[in-house]
Amino acid sequence: MKCSEEMIERIHQYLDHDIKQADERILREHLQSCTECAQHLHELEKSIALVQSTSHIEAPSNFTQAVMNSLPEEKKRVGVGR
Amino acid sequence: METIVKNRIKQVKKGDQNAFAEIVDLYKDKIYQLCYRMLGNSHEAEDIAQEAFIRAYVNIHSYDMDKKFSTWLYRIATNLTIDRIRKKKPDYYLDAEVAGTEGLTMYSQVAADVALPEDQVATMELQQMIQKEILKLPDKYRSVIVLKYIDELSLIEISEILNMPIGTVKTRIHRGREALRKQLRHL
Repeated sequence: MKCSEEMIERIHQYLDHDIKQADERILREHLQSCTECAQHLHELEKSIALVQSTSHIEAPSNFTQAVMNSLPEEKKRVGVGR
Repeated sequence: METIVKNRIKQVKKGDQNAFAEIVDLYKDKIYQLCYRMLGNSHEAEDIAQEAFIRAYVNIHSYDMDKKFSTWLYRIATNLTIDRIRKKKPDYYLDAEVAGTEGLTMYSQVAADVALPEDQVATMELQQMIQKEILKLPDKYRSVIVLKYIDELSLIEISEILNMPIGTVKTRIHRGREALRKQLRHL
């Protein structure tokens, strides 16, 4: 049995913490009995966790200096003027 | 942090360039990360991230002090990455493949001196795989997914950065998540 788009929509609202209380109750009850939707939610949560697991990279060490060296010349001299 | 940032910006507006270096230091990792996840290539990411800061500096007088600085900066960076993606030649996906193997190349260089523990290697391979899947997303989904899950911004901030209604942001996040689910569920 294919579950309604409405239920999938509730799953997404739930993931965004943007779900009405009544809808959350409906969703929770539905997930108790529907393995397909429970699996769907599980796969979405897993995808999010995988994407979040990649979130730790840093800019190259000389980054700030490289930016500062590339700023337009005329602005560099403004600080000297009165 | 916004207060410190705004004080620095006032100094920048007066012509103090050193104050701008502090701003770059504060945001460089977030902006670089955004560019890297959008573009999948460290050279391009560095290039575009630098360009974003240069544009912010040049256009600092058009920044509205009543708004959050990071939102403005993210908007500049996001627009630049999307422009770059759209200007890419049709061989872009070939580039992406190359980008996806970068970590492995890096690893083979490291491995010559220091053997990495097995689980660390597995983590690097997994991260490369995930990065490739993120790059497969159409750019309109990729930008919202990266802003939400990698830069951890709120839906309201994302809607301001991308200059689109919050309803559109939600729809794109939902579709982006569904696409990722199909791509990543077998991992």
